[in-house]
Amino acid sequence: MRRGWRTVVEAGLGDTRTRILGVFLIIVAVVGTLLMHSYANIETVFAASLLAGSLLGRWWTILVPLTALAVLQPLEWSTTYVGYGLNAITGITFFVISGYVFVGFLGRRIRPRVLFRVKSVALLTTISVPVTIAYDLWTAFGEWYFITRPFGVGIRTVLEAQVPFTLYHLLSSLIFVPLFGTIFLFLHAYGWPARTPSATVADPDRE
Amino acid sequence: MALRLSERLQAIVFVGILIAAIAGLYATTQLIQPVPVRASAVHLVRLVVEGAGWSIEYAPLATMNNTAFGLLLEASAELGFPVAYVWYQIPQGVFVTAINGSVNGEGSRFWLYQVNGVYPSLAADHQALHDDDVVRWTFSASQDGM
Repeated sequence: MRRGWRTVVEAGLGDTRTRILGVFLIIVAVVGTLLMHSYANIETVFAASLLAGSLLGRWWTILVPLTALAVLQPLEWSTTYVGYGLNAITGITFFVISGYVFVGFLGRRIRPRVLFRVKSVALLTTISVPVTIAYDLWTAFGEWYFITRPFGVGIRTVLEAQVPFTLYHLLSSLIFVPLFGTIFLFLHAYGWPARTPSATVADPDRE
Repeated sequence: MALRLSERLQAIVFVGILIAAIAGLYATTQLIQPVPVRASAVHLVRLVVEGAGWSIEYAPLATMNNTAFGLLLEASAELGFPVAYVWYQIPQGVFVTAINGSVNGEGSRFWLYQVNGVYPSLAADHQALHDDDVVRWTFSASQDGM
């Protein structure tokens, strides 16, 4: 029975390369967001979640966003957004976490063949645009419901105010998704000795 | 026969499109930044600040501080009560964190402002005032009683 349990965990976490890349994505998500803290909606959790789902899959689809947010959310609520009640904290956190987990699952759905190719990076970058907008709409609804609605502010006002923040979030996605996508695809393809010929290509220029 | 680009050319095209998209987005964010309010005289504007158990009113006959935040700062200077605030660069705007010693978060209350009974969607320093406008700052708790 113990062997079965261990097999499940190992299957969920993948091989050593996958685990190292997963931990690296979590570090990227946390450190990148903390470094960009003073710039609204410039963050790396989105890119890390999308890449975790599309490039790593398995349990990392959920582990990367959940672990990163387990570090970041308490920091946010205890510093930038101090003073909110437990109801608002719980509600907003639910929308944020579910949003990023959804991003991870979307990445899993559109998962390209894990090759160090321009097409793979271009696909991830392109899909990040509508997904970023969808995430912002989802979290804007949560912020309206739990923070501004109790003060009598309408959803339309919240959505209007959200526009510049979404534009900055799109900027963030267009920078970090191709940047980290390229780095991770390179590491995945060339960072370790290839086990199978399909994992790497000797000459990427040869098509 | 479809044109097939080498991997290198694909990369160049992709980076070019990406840079154009990022530049376009950044230009858009700069364009939609609220235009700074040009200082001009406004008449008979009124400021009401409602804290927890106290209130302040200020009604100059005329003032050159024709934004909701500017009027608050003028009242602060004239009447001698402190105002604390934070400037944000992205997006540009001021965020008031305390008025007359009442700080955001105390008793789950937060400072909100209205102009003529309406919550604006702009930061207070970008909300222009006109003659006879009434600016109300309230230290509000949510109706849900969070």
